[in-house]
Amino acid sequence: MNKLNSLIYKDFLLLIRDRAGLCLMFLMPMLLVLIMTYLQDSTFNSINETRIPLLLVNNDNDSLGITIEKQIEESAIFSISHDINGIKPDRKTLEKAVAKGDFMIGILIPENATNQIRKNVKRYVISAFNGQNISLDSDSVEVEIFIDPVTKSSFRNTLMSTLREYAVRTESDFLFREITSEVNKLTPVPIADIRLSRNQVIIREQYASMKERQAIPNSVQHNIPAWSMFAIFFIAISLAGNIIKEREEGSFTRLQTMPCPSGLYILGKIITYMCVCLLQLVTIFLMGMYLFPLLGLPALVIEGNYWLLLIMGACSAMAAIGYGVAIGKIAATHQQAAIFASVSVVILAAIGGIWIPVFVMPQPMQLLSAVSPLNWGLEGFYDLFFRNGNLGSILPECIFSLAFFIICIFVVFIKNKQYE
Amino acid sequence: MNAIEIKNLYKTYKGAGFPAVDNLSVNIPQGEIFGLLGPNGAGKTTIINILCGLRSFDEGEVKVCGFSLPKQLKKIKRQIGVVPQDIALYPSLTAYENLKIFGGIFGLKKKALENRINELLSFFGLEQHKHRHIETYSGGMKRRINLIAGLLHNPEILFLDEPTVGVDVQSKTLILENLKDINRRGSTLIYTSHYMEEAEMLCTQVAFIDEGKLICQGKPQELIRQSKNCDSLEALYLFLTGKKLRD
Repeated sequence: MNKLNSLIYKDFLLLIRDRAGLCLMFLMPMLLVLIMTYLQDSTFNSINETRIPLLLVNNDNDSLGITIEKQIEESAIFSISHDINGIKPDRKTLEKAVAKGDFMIGILIPENATNQIRKNVKRYVISAFNGQNISLDSDSVEVEIFIDPVTKSSFRNTLMSTLREYAVRTESDFLFREITSEVNKLTPVPIADIRLSRNQVIIREQYASMKERQAIPNSVQHNIPAWSMFAIFFIAISLAGNIIKEREEGSFTRLQTMPCPSGLYILGKIITYMCVCLLQLVTIFLMGMYLFPLLGLPALVIEGNYWLLLIMGACSAMAAIGYGVAIGKIAATHQQAAIFASVSVVILAAIGGIWIPVFVMPQPMQLLSAVSPLNWGLEGFYDLFFRNGNLGSILPECIFSLAFFIICIFVVFIKNKQYE
Repeated sequence: MNAIEIKNLYKTYKGAGFPAVDNLSVNIPQGEIFGLLGPNGAGKTTIINILCGLRSFDEGEVKVCGFSLPKQLKKIKRQIGVVPQDIALYPSLTAYENLKIFGGIFGLKKKALENRINELLSFFGLEQHKHRHIETYSGGMKRRINLIAGLLHNPEILFLDEPTVGVDVQSKTLILENLKDINRRGSTLIYTSHYMEEAEMLCTQVAFIDEGKLICQGKPQELIRQSKNCDSLEALYLFLTGKKLRD
């Protein structure tokens, strides 16, 4: 049995005898992934399933009113009511109902709104054909919207843009109809109605990737890599604790008196904990692939090269191991290491986009996220999961992670020198 | 031939206003059981740590087994065994696992290592307990395993830092008898203790250290004979170092 084998054997035995540590390294991240994914998935579903109560008073009952009503119904965001206790409300009652919080949004389409638009457009077109300049703004139709102040601005904006779009459509339909009528008066051969095609500009929504892809970003596709990174970095607590325990128990002193270079001692730990990290990664990924569908969650879809996932995982593991070794060397006591390692990993996770995606963070935090090793790993996994990246696309993240490891090990050697 | 040669050794810890080892020169001949004696804070542990390569030193020359420190530390580490005062073992592992790991680090091959472990466990009366976790051992058993871990590779020099602290008379007797036996087989023992009676019985040579300086060195009986008013090593120790508390 050579020296390195003995060191690996030692670390492996210490690891499997530490049941609390094993729970911390495997069960806790698995539980975290499960809980966070389940929470985020149900929140996502509830947003889709819960509709916003909207009171629509359509006094128009013509094109504009009917179109708006139809489109709001089709949007599937709102739960539409047309009356309160069977009575069609007036403007005042509608406002009051929204103010009381019975409805989040109230819409009042005035009587003869379509007719008014029709009249305005007709007047405008006739004037235009007679060479007169008049504005369409005169005698505008006012559709009133009452909004509960607690309504999210995103819903408000969606509603407003929907209403504006269909008001413009109705207006332009009338405009073209009137133009056709006026042109037909002037020409001996009548022309057909000019209708504006709604299909001139097609907006096609798709996820950007480098190759053809099938994986759809969902809570599982986001949470599995995110919490795998968290789990990998959480081994820093166990690793630092292991180093301090060896120091406190005196076994490290014994190793120092033996023909066992400190580099070999660290290599033993790197190999052992690398196996742990990769095992964590595989466990969490398998959980996403096979356990999640049984629990009613979407399954994790892994595309592309498994080796690239392994490379990215290994580089992140190196960064985490380096961090754990550095904490273990710098911290004076087990408690100090445990508190510092756990708090710092949580902070690095927070700024690294594990809990909240980086793009929703304020600008300074987005800049700060670039210094978190968890963010490098996460971005690497995202490249592979969502953007069908190749080795070239994860190379920067791999290099950053390995550089972080080298810096940590350098700190360890400086600390060793200081001790001597 | 000398197992250890120390010449004008100085060591001052950072922030300390005085040297821990102050111009120390000692030669320890091969095959001796050498007692390094002195009160708390005298510099004994610092000297042992320097000799084992655990600490650097500021000035002086140190040779262990003919190899110079710090340049030939790697070679020195292959020749020495260390038995620290604290039980330097992994409590959650069994005695056999601990010894297998330490023996493996010393480069012992599988079969030879197994034979050596069994030989030493039997020598120290622990063979039937080898698969028990260290944390379940009594104080005396832990001390014996601690000692075995330093002996696995049959070292030329064995450093023993208070190897009998906290053990019962039976364990102590076994340890001391076995140490004499190990010495008879050719190992040089460097031993520190606060038990003067034990040192007098075990050591073939002693050196009294105080405030990092060598006070005197010689065979215990000769040193006692040379001092007019002392009839034991303990009396001589108090005569040389005084009764003033050191910590």
